[in-house]
Amino acid sequence: MMDVDERPLRLDVDDDGAEEDEAMADRGAFERHYADERSWEELQEDESGMLRPLDVAQQQRQHRKRMAAMAGPHIQRGIIRYVYVLLDFSRAAAEMDLRPSRMGIVADCVEAFVREFFDQNPLSHLGIILLRNGIAHRLTDLSGSPETHIKALRSNMECAGDASIQNALDLARGYLTQIPSYGHREIMLVFSALSTIDPGDILEAVQKCKEANIRCSVVGLSAEIYICKLLCDQTGGIYSVATNEAHLKELIMEHAPPPPVQAEISVASLVRMGFPQRGAEDAVALCACHREVKIGGGYTCPRCKARVCELPTQCHICGLTLVSSPHLARSYHHLFPVPPFEEVANMAVANGRQSISKNCYGCLQELPTPGGKVKGVRLACPRCRQHFCFDCDNYIHESLHNCPGCESTSISSSQPSQ
Amino acid sequence: MKFKIDGLTVYFPYEYIYPEQYDYMMDLKRTLDARGHCLLEMPTGTGKTITLLSLITSYMLANPSVGKLIYCTRTVHEMEKVLEELRKLQAYQEKCLGKVAKMLALGLSSRKNLCVLPEVSGEGSRESVDAGCRKLTASWVRALALDNPNIELCSFYEGYEKSGADALLPTGVYTLHDLRAFGRERGWCPYFLARHMIQFANVVVYNYQYLLDPKVAGIISKEMEKECVVVFDEAHNIDNVCIEALSVNIRQQTLDGATRNLSQVTQLIEKSKATDANRLRQEYNRLVEGLAQRGNLPGSDTWLANPALPQDILQEAVPGNIRRAEHFVAFLKRLVQYIKARMNTEQVESESPVSFVTSLQNQAGIDQKSLKFCYDRLHSLLLTLEVTNTDEFMHIQTICDFATLVGTYTRGFTIIIEPYDERMPNIPDPVLQLSCLDSSLAIKPVFEKFQSVVITSGTLSPIDLYPRLLNFHPVISNSYKMTLTRDCLCPMVLTRGSDQLPVSTKFDMRSDPGVVRNYGRLLLEMVTAVPDGIVCFFVSYSYMDGIVNSWNEMGILQDVMQHKLVFIETQDVVETTLALDNYRRACDCGRGAVFFSVARGKVAEGIDFDRHYGRLVIMYGVPFQYTLSRILRARLEYLRETFQIKENDFLTFDAVRQAAQCVGRVIRSKADYGMMIFADKRYNRHDKRSKLPGWILSHLRDAHLNLSTDMSVHIAREFLRRMAQPYDKAGQGTNATLLSQADLERMEKK
Repeated sequence: MMDVDERPLRLDVDDDGAEEDEAMADRGAFERHYADERSWEELQEDESGMLRPLDVAQQQRQHRKRMAAMAGPHIQRGIIRYVYVLLDFSRAAAEMDLRPSRMGIVADCVEAFVREFFDQNPLSHLGIILLRNGIAHRLTDLSGSPETHIKALRSNMECAGDASIQNALDLARGYLTQIPSYGHREIMLVFSALSTIDPGDILEAVQKCKEANIRCSVVGLSAEIYICKLLCDQTGGIYSVATNEAHLKELIMEHAPPPPVQAEISVASLVRMGFPQRGAEDAVALCACHREVKIGGGYTCPRCKARVCELPTQCHICGLTLVSSPHLARSYHHLFPVPPFEEVANMAVANGRQSISKNCYGCLQELPTPGGKVKGVRLACPRCRQHFCFDCDNYIHESLHNCPGCESTSISSSQPSQ
Repeated sequence: MKFKIDGLTVYFPYEYIYPEQYDYMMDLKRTLDARGHCLLEMPTGTGKTITLLSLITSYMLANPSVGKLIYCTRTVHEMEKVLEELRKLQAYQEKCLGKVAKMLALGLSSRKNLCVLPEVSGEGSRESVDAGCRKLTASWVRALALDNPNIELCSFYEGYEKSGADALLPTGVYTLHDLRAFGRERGWCPYFLARHMIQFANVVVYNYQYLLDPKVAGIISKEMEKECVVVFDEAHNIDNVCIEALSVNIRQQTLDGATRNLSQVTQLIEKSKATDANRLRQEYNRLVEGLAQRGNLPGSDTWLANPALPQDILQEAVPGNIRRAEHFVAFLKRLVQYIKARMNTEQVESESPVSFVTSLQNQAGIDQKSLKFCYDRLHSLLLTLEVTNTDEFMHIQTICDFATLVGTYTRGFTIIIEPYDERMPNIPDPVLQLSCLDSSLAIKPVFEKFQSVVITSGTLSPIDLYPRLLNFHPVISNSYKMTLTRDCLCPMVLTRGSDQLPVSTKFDMRSDPGVVRNYGRLLLEMVTAVPDGIVCFFVSYSYMDGIVNSWNEMGILQDVMQHKLVFIETQDVVETTLALDNYRRACDCGRGAVFFSVARGKVAEGIDFDRHYGRLVIMYGVPFQYTLSRILRARLEYLRETFQIKENDFLTFDAVRQAAQCVGRVIRSKADYGMMIFADKRYNRHDKRSKLPGWILSHLRDAHLNLSTDMSVHIAREFLRRMAQPYDKAGQGTNATLLSQADLERMEKK
């Protein structure tokens, strides 16, 4: 028989053993983040006194890899886009883990995005919807003017209540289903909260978006949320979560180039467009968009002769899409991009022909050579075999959209025949 | 893919293999070569099942002398998963080898899961399906039906019987569902077919009970040959299963039921005396000859030195005083009467089986030898009386189990009589517990009979304790780490609240409002940082009730509800299932939810909180067993005396394995990620921490050992952001997590 004493067994004989390593583990929070990484050791001072990372070439390669992954193969892209940007301005957007606050940084990024968006997609339209207090509120209509959106957004900077993705999806879908069939419907949600508080079944809303061929992408600010992932998977969008301010901007900007067309809806169709003439400088006319008298500038719709202030837009009277030819041309590069440059391996530079160029074909700066002073990668255009530096590669692919090498060879080869 | 391990060709149905799977196979192969037992710990989500199946079946192909693979699982669900994997494997083997690789694999379960007769399978409980089946298939019922066509029979069983020896399954892999479909199609009873086919099968998948519970094992597993390989999967609680298999609880209603049963039996005896006295006569003669000759208990068979029935009992004749049916009933009546008297006590009593039997001898004139025979004598009597509704005789069966166990064993058991529940001393609820203290008793015959026994699970740490508890000598015991392309596990030890005061569920601290509030703050901070599902485990139901109440009063619960819905596990299974279902829905639709659960509860054992269903699990406190429990104390004492295991060692081991089991729920595959918070300062101590499984420990960084709430929230946010980034699944260079056939060939050459 055992004797039972009414006390629990002593399971904690001494707690003192724990105290010793407490001092070790208990580093200040400010130290903790950096101590493991020793990021300062990866830096080096260059001749002009600037701090540079040690392995420049490696970093440049990483950057290129990232860009290559984003560009993807040569595919059909929808260049007439109708995008609703859904911004979560719920309670969670007030958190300060991203500086100055989640809302602040989101507004900054979206502002940059809107400008970049219209720069890259001059034929597209964009609108903003805010999620606040459990409801979705349309801030701006679908339109082609960046300034309207930015102004409206800047004057609406407050956050409160819960976020409801379902409400926002339903609202955006309601507007997006009305647009013409050649347009590509997209939703981009910037989501701060960790939960969505919906009045109904969100899965149904996701399903409806899918049926309506709306591509939904989400940029999260805090963590991966299942429903967002599901939404993106179902509708073919991209889901990404930002780790810091710079990353957030990068992620939002990723949505500026037009996305690939989904196979099932990629039916070629003809779109009626008008190319309006710019009005005389001193002509006075009633503006159709602002409903007021304006002097000078402005464009006249070729079909109904109404007057609009900005291009591209839709004619307010007859609904014709009005663009100018540079807009079309600027959208064109998405369809026929400059081929990605290839990295020239260092071996080829050392053993190869003597005629290898020392300078970048684009900027005439010195190119990196093995053992040389300049560090970094050397790149070659697969068509014209000219060598470029890393910065030119970026500039050519991101802004110029023409390869200087290819362009000049085509000129020089066509000249003799003349 | 196909590769060689030590000269053995292994067929593996996937293109790639994880390095740890390869190591696991190496060890497994060594064990099989040595014809010994082994103990292997490998984290869930690393494809343990397919590794086991693939190596053992490949081994069987190469060495035809090896018998069957007996794969034991805990639940029907797991059984189905194993068979699904096996099906893939079989398809692959057939592709590689053609007709040579004929494999018959089947799952065996109770009638409830296999019956295809709509009238019977519609019954609710397992017992009623069993009884319903017996009513239609018992030999005397069928004999009667020959004369009287009005008597209902089971058409499927008749179909099976009619085909006789031709009723065979073609080779292939059969899940329970397949068996039912096959049975329906042929008109054969799947249950009896499966039982029959076991002797021809290469792989049998069934429940632990079929090997460990002596009552079931005797019927089902007696025909297994010695050369079989036995696998116990998810075996971290195998010692408890062993103990439960040999423990009996008798309550007031058991006794009442037993009394009722006895009077029914008496009536039946009277009736059969009047109609067919010959039958009882025959039974008497059989019993004189001894149980062994009776046919359904083959005494000379090497199968299972049945722990409930020692060898000698099988050869011996049944003692004279219980041979006659009336005498046996009178004997049982005396026994029930005696137990009733014993339970009518005011204070807690605990004694050894020996002293119990002695006092039984003195006061009721019941000797030990007759006690031993109770189980089989009753079985025989019920057969003779042609009782089919066996579910109604459950109570008297319990009493007979008790009698047989108490008569057989002198060591390793204790009898404890408690007049009331500890928590409610005012309500009399007497219970007599015959508790097995030695987990090696039930599993001993398995180790002795089979050449290789593999015990494996995701959490078997500390791995050196299991051989001592189960009293065997493993050839190999090993624990494998998980190779990961990214740090998808984030265990943390939280020792302080946000006010820097220590938190613990230690007895003297648990009711401290400061600790309760700190625990609440922790949850509140976490719900604002973690998406989708969070699971909290508490040490006991009463503690959970208490702390949730306090949180409610403090307003913490209301704040939590603003972010996530709260669900609670209760002791009611239906309620808990409903709560779980709604919890999952809340996670699916993005609302987010918290599930409060209890370590050692149903949820902690069997429910997975993988992917978004569990991004974070918080283990509040160290889940020690209720140390005032008399059974536990008796077991601790026994362990100390018999196996030299210190009380504290065992308690800590048991608590930490439960905690590991709870937090392990959160990650079920390599693509998954999750955080684990051990919220108690005691986890920071070496003796607790070092007992965690290796795959958790290897991710527990020193910087994460002594955290306060604010620091852990910071780490959580960072971790979640990092995990949300896209990643390369295969890994590269030294941290490659996938090996292809070419990689393996290269390794082989080295």
